[in-house]
Amino acid sequence: MADAVVVDRAAAAPRHARSLSARGDIEWAGYALVAFFAVPFLIFNVGPVLFGIYVGFTEWGIIGSPQWIGLENYRTALADPWVRVAFVNVMKYALVIVPGVTVLGLLFALFVNQSWPLSAVSRTILFTPNVVSATVIGLIWVWVLDTQFGVLNHYLGLIGIGPIKWLTSVQWSLIGVSIASIWWDMGLAFVLFLAALQNVPRDLYEAADIDGAGRLAKLWHVVLPHIRPTISMVVTLQLISTMRIFSQVYVMTDGGPAGSSSSVIYYIYKTAVQQQRLGFASAVSILLFIAILILTIVQRFVLRETARG
Amino acid sequence: MADVGAVLRAQLPGTRLALKDVPVWLFGMFFVVLWAAPFVWMVSTSLKPSSQVMTPVVEWLPREVTLENYRNVMKYPIATWAMNSVIVAGVATALCVLFGAMAGYALARLRFPGRNVIFLLFLASIMIPPEVGVVPLLLAMIKVGWASTYQALILPTIANVLAVYIFRQFFLTFPRELEEAAIVDGAGPFKIFFRIALPLARSPAIAATVIVFTLNWNNFLWPLLITFDENMKTLPVGIAAFAPVVGSHTQLEGYATAMAAVTLLCIPSVVLFLALQRYFIEGITTSGLKG
Repeated sequence: MADAVVVDRAAAAPRHARSLSARGDIEWAGYALVAFFAVPFLIFNVGPVLFGIYVGFTEWGIIGSPQWIGLENYRTALADPWVRVAFVNVMKYALVIVPGVTVLGLLFALFVNQSWPLSAVSRTILFTPNVVSATVIGLIWVWVLDTQFGVLNHYLGLIGIGPIKWLTSVQWSLIGVSIASIWWDMGLAFVLFLAALQNVPRDLYEAADIDGAGRLAKLWHVVLPHIRPTISMVVTLQLISTMRIFSQVYVMTDGGPAGSSSSVIYYIYKTAVQQQRLGFASAVSILLFIAILILTIVQRFVLRETARG
Repeated sequence: MADVGAVLRAQLPGTRLALKDVPVWLFGMFFVVLWAAPFVWMVSTSLKPSSQVMTPVVEWLPREVTLENYRNVMKYPIATWAMNSVIVAGVATALCVLFGAMAGYALARLRFPGRNVIFLLFLASIMIPPEVGVVPLLLAMIKVGWASTYQALILPTIANVLAVYIFRQFFLTFPRELEEAAIVDGAGPFKIFFRIALPLARSPAIAATVIVFTLNWNNFLWPLLITFDENMKTLPVGIAAFAPVVGSHTQLEGYATAMAAVTLLCIPSVVLFLALQRYFIEGITTSGLKG
């Protein structure tokens, strides 16, 4: 029995040894293995996006077939005051949420990275909001931010502020949704920063110690330069996800009052599902994609320039 | 970045605290407690009798504990929603992780023309917001008569590039000798993948599973759009109707019941995270992305 196996191996060896050594050989099974993923990817991810680009150039209700109307949807969209409101709102969301998430994530990571008591528990607590659904985030914060009985207004009242209508006033609704979003999203930035901090070489700290650098000097001259790629990554990821803000808006304010907390995706949802203007909704989603693309490139460029200067 | 998990584990038993650092530590811990407070408030509210929820002074602990709110939640088809969520998230995650592992293995280990282009295309697709395709997809699903069906809920979530990425990273550093022994025995790539590579990919498999499952469990926009039948809703969509806001929502119940509902909703993902925290954080930091 043992002999037979040895013989089998010996016989099989040359053929496979050749396929290993000959760099030019194509392993066709690779395509088959990738296909299981690639087929649903093409049908359900790529296909609808390409079709969406086409639909954006058409007039299409829920019945009938799409009628080609060229750039008409884009003209309508650019003239639509609610589209403008939605785009201005996602910029405002980005201005509040992106710095909020980045700064808090970094501060918490610096804190937990000290390995002081309870740092493991702290790490768990800080990340946990990131794993629950938008429905949970939305409902918890609608209750916390309740004007009359909410916890936040209660404590603000003790120091003489408020009561603030966090979710029911035009001035505050966007801030209210942003607070909930920061609580939700911060955990991801936090663990990314924590991993980056733990990759800062120990001897850099020791060198700084020898130079007699204080805590802030070390942060500024040693830590920040080292984790700059992570900062850039966190800002990019958060910017993209904030431009696409939807679920928490839907659950917390329904875009209101008077569109003050509405977002681009929320408006797409409204026009596509409730008004069934599919061509128009598709055009707005393409505009959002273009806006995300431009902002990502600009932000990458700015971060690189500040790194040089 | 494969050593991230090891670093995190090694760092866990942290107890050194110099006296001069105590104020900073207390300051930091204050904010950590603040971060946990909304969860505490959620659970606490869910256990209060509805008459003691709206109090002039904040009461962090219930005066008396009751399960009345949880019984209220049960009046809604929450068991059906939960079953839908389990089926949808379970099947979608299993398929995503299996297909992602196969693709990740092929892209890392097998030589065939275009494999780098394929991987780059997968990565580039992350830049495109899925919302661009959501309207046509919805229409297509309705046209083929799949509205409010499991296949409509599951199929569009299978191809999550995150899974491919996690497995590809793992298989890039997979020892060649393990494969070579099998090749000598005359095994083909499929056999090698299923018999040798996949069983050894336990760590990335767990990481991909917990992350993808959590994303699927929490998925909101797509199930919201595609389910028109109350009995086909998933938990997050069904429970969203408890939101007591003005506007087009129907306010089903007060805050106490809403908090009981969301407590139930977040138990699976929080428990999964607490149990498999290491894999979770490892997977996220390896890939640097989520969703």
